[in-house]
Amino acid sequence: MDSFSSSSGSPPNTEALMDQIKAQLAQAYAQEFLETVGNKCFAKCVTKPGSSLSGSESSCISRCVDRYIEATGIVSRALFSSTH
Amino acid sequence: MENSAEMQRFIEFTADSYLNITLQQEQQKAMVSEMVGKLTSVCWDKCITSTPGSKFSSGETTCLTNCAQRFLDMSVIIAKRFEMQ
Repeated sequence: MDSFSSSSGSPPNTEALMDQIKAQLAQAYAQEFLETVGNKCFAKCVTKPGSSLSGSESSCISRCVDRYIEATGIVSRALFSSTH
Repeated sequence: MENSAEMQRFIEFTADSYLNITLQQEQQKAMVSEMVGKLTSVCWDKCITSTPGSKFSSGETTCLTNCAQRFLDMSVIIAKRFEMQ
């Protein structure tokens, strides 16, 4: 068993592959999240697009992003720590 | 060195099972994240009707919680409805 006892538990190639898969999944998730948040907050905060984003639009967007992240947490908790 | 081929097979088998199990786990995690994402989108549209403030109102928080849980209830009902046929 000496030939592969150096790799503790799992074979090295498999682990590298899994890390790659995890990284790709995380990237895909982040991309989708950004797209969704962008769509939601544009709809809420930029109702009449002008020649540039106004200060109030910018602050609305940053609040909106914070709330969307919070909403994700609330939904997640509602699903998995529910007593129903 | 008679059993080196056998050893090789053992290593491959172990690697295969490990990969399958961890892949399944990742797949499950991905499904959960996707569901949370979709539900957040649906419930956001239903519950957050005004421009987002610096804090959710208690009504909004309750609505989000209820929305997610009722969506689950509904999924169960729909699944049962199709089981009956």
